[in-house]
Amino acid sequence: MKKRIIWIIFVLCAFVIAGYFCKEYALVTDFTNKNISPCIRYPFGTDWMGRNLFFRTLRGISISILIGVTSASISTMIAILFGTVSAFGNKEIDTIIVWLIDFMMGLPHILLLIVVSIAAGRDIKGVILSISLTHWTSLARLIRSELLQLKASTYIQVAEKLGKSKFYLFQKHMIPHILPQCITGWILLFPHTILHESSITFLGFGLKSNQPAIGILLSESMQYIVTGRWWLAVFPGCVLVFVVLLFYDIGKCFQKYYEQKSGV
Amino acid sequence: MRKNVFCLVCILLIVLVGCKTNVETKKNIAKKDTVVVTMPVTSEPEYGFNPVYGWGAGEHTHEPLIQSTLFITTNDLQIDYDLATDYFVSEDGMTWTVTIREDAYFTDGEKLTAEDVAFTYNTCKQNSSVNDFTMLDYAEAIDEKTVVFHMTRPFSVWSYTMALVGIVPEHVYTSDYGENPVGSGKYILKQWDKGQQVILEANANYYDNAPKIKTVIVLFMEEEISLAAAQSEQSDVSYTSATYADISVADYELYSVISLDNRGINLPTQPAEQKDGIVYGNDVTSDIAIRRAINIALNRESMISNVLNGYASPAYSICDNTPWYQKDSEVQYNLEQANTILDDAGWTIGDDGIRNKNDIRAAFSILYPPSDSIRQGIAEEFCNNMKQIGLEVTPECVGWDIAYDLAQSQPLVWGWGAHTPMELYNIYHSQNGEYARYSPYYNETVDSYMDEALKSTDIETAYTLWQKAQWNGATGITQKGDIPWIWICNVDHLYFVKQGLIISEQKIHPHGHGWSLLNNVDTWEWQ
Repeated sequence: MKKRIIWIIFVLCAFVIAGYFCKEYALVTDFTNKNISPCIRYPFGTDWMGRNLFFRTLRGISISILIGVTSASISTMIAILFGTVSAFGNKEIDTIIVWLIDFMMGLPHILLLIVVSIAAGRDIKGVILSISLTHWTSLARLIRSELLQLKASTYIQVAEKLGKSKFYLFQKHMIPHILPQCITGWILLFPHTILHESSITFLGFGLKSNQPAIGILLSESMQYIVTGRWWLAVFPGCVLVFVVLLFYDIGKCFQKYYEQKSGV
Repeated sequence: MRKNVFCLVCILLIVLVGCKTNVETKKNIAKKDTVVVTMPVTSEPEYGFNPVYGWGAGEHTHEPLIQSTLFITTNDLQIDYDLATDYFVSEDGMTWTVTIREDAYFTDGEKLTAEDVAFTYNTCKQNSSVNDFTMLDYAEAIDEKTVVFHMTRPFSVWSYTMALVGIVPEHVYTSDYGENPVGSGKYILKQWDKGQQVILEANANYYDNAPKIKTVIVLFMEEEISLAAAQSEQSDVSYTSATYADISVADYELYSVISLDNRGINLPTQPAEQKDGIVYGNDVTSDIAIRRAINIALNRESMISNVLNGYASPAYSICDNTPWYQKDSEVQYNLEQANTILDDAGWTIGDDGIRNKNDIRAAFSILYPPSDSIRQGIAEEFCNNMKQIGLEVTPECVGWDIAYDLAQSQPLVWGWGAHTPMELYNIYHSQNGEYARYSPYYNETVDSYMDEALKSTDIETAYTLWQKAQWNGATGITQKGDIPWIWICNVDHLYFVKQGLIISEQKIHPHGHGWSLLNNVDTWEWQ
């Protein structure tokens, strides 16, 4: 199990590092070599401006992974904060936060994403912000209920009666208990954020078209699919799906790992 | 598993049957005096078919079809009569007297009189936001067939404005005129399904030759769908672009129209300076040596074959092929000379191959609007070209919401082209004695030639003055002059046309790939 996780993380890191080195190459245009179908020199083919799609895809997926890591982390932190405050705060605060969670969940994600992304200036910053602000809800709800359950459990109440401070309780008993949930939640947020990043970019509200993000590659390819240039959509799409599956797999692995550990 | 396969087969069957019936119903419509034309979604008039709010006269000029105009522009962009029968300009250029024909009737049977003309222009002056009517003081009908325009300043190209404004009937004009237009033009609006289609029917009482095409159906769709419409034979004329032009569609031929639809780049002529939060000018392009070098280091031919697959012609000014074009604008591609110009001006090549002068690095961005692959391609190829003379140009995609402000300090890939010399005025003439509107530039001589051209009462003299504004032998906006804008190409407008349909000779299309094609739809024919 552990080996598998390490392998997957290794592959993902390789994508990010490769993408970092492709930064320059991904932008080079060469009109003498446009619209070439996949061959040995251009494994993923070239697009209508003669750009090497292999480099662009690597660069795109590395941007996506970085956006994914950042926004999933921010989301998880928001979730922990709201979940804890809600569970430990007084009744009014709890009501407000629960209402906020319901409200956010009730809104269609994509609409909120578009609005926030436009307001924050349609850039990497805007995309990260919009994804972070929309994806924390379900994890926050989970953490809140876990903590509420814990608060009512006997050993916590005994510890409280013994005069332990709230901070001690939280640090010693609560954190170890919710940490597995948080990590699993964090990992499972990943595929979501990457897909959402690609979709708002595809719709034209995310990254700008001079950044080779996967969403940009896919939306650019739409125009050329009719002309038979399938490679423009197929390869970036496959890589995106592959990476999303990798993350999903890590998430599952972690879940199993903790389940075994806690003997459920 | 078996259930899934069954579902799949069912879905496929439904789709197939659906497609088939769809094609059959559409085919029945196509009779021999009907044409189905596709247009970009953006061609649907936002405020309806009301000339006051830009129908035919806005950013993308074309004939209003439903209404008729006083004048028309001919195929070589000279002025000819339509409703007008004669006109007279006073010595000082301050009044224009136009007599109109007496056999023109609106489609509701009322006669078109000078009152309607005066009403149209006065309404335009009050309401029009798309066209400039500040030079008109008021219009007045002296009798049934004579209208007098009192001007606030001499404006020699007024006849070009009069070739754009469709005449609306005073007696039925209300705020929702745009949706129920009544005019005296070649066609009547029969049906308008917003977001989908417009159906025009020939006006039986039209005062000139009766239209040969009786019904025109215009479908608004995206470019891919327009191609699909041709492939499935649902349209007779499908607009397309260089991207799809290489696809061969059975029973359809590619039809290409020369246009004024140019692509060009502005080069701010002032050093950078901040004012009201907007930066005006650019430290690199403000050097005339840089601008001149760019103009001849730009390989227009290769750019056209690379980016536009050859479907364009090189452009050297904003008004190629018009009567007011200055032939001295043309330049030859010459890399060596471009390098010499930069060397002589003191721009030395640094270690990284990029030029420097007094610690200023020869680097700037070139902006292009999103979802326009042609302009993106031009921007990218421009950067490749400029690298060869040691300029570092970075392409950057910006939305139209901020593009106008950014273009004051950074070059942008623009698209222009209209059937009036006013285009020159809009681009190069200074505003209120400061810089020109879209990119910082000011030249007193150029300004004065254009002012004089507007004051001239004779259109031929005016043409000469417009040419002199571009280059008078000493100064101007050409390569030998200040060269504040670089023009790259005129994009050909491309269409898939069904075999058997004969499209009449088109006058040079302006910017915009829409209604212009239908300017003479009344004279099209099926074989």
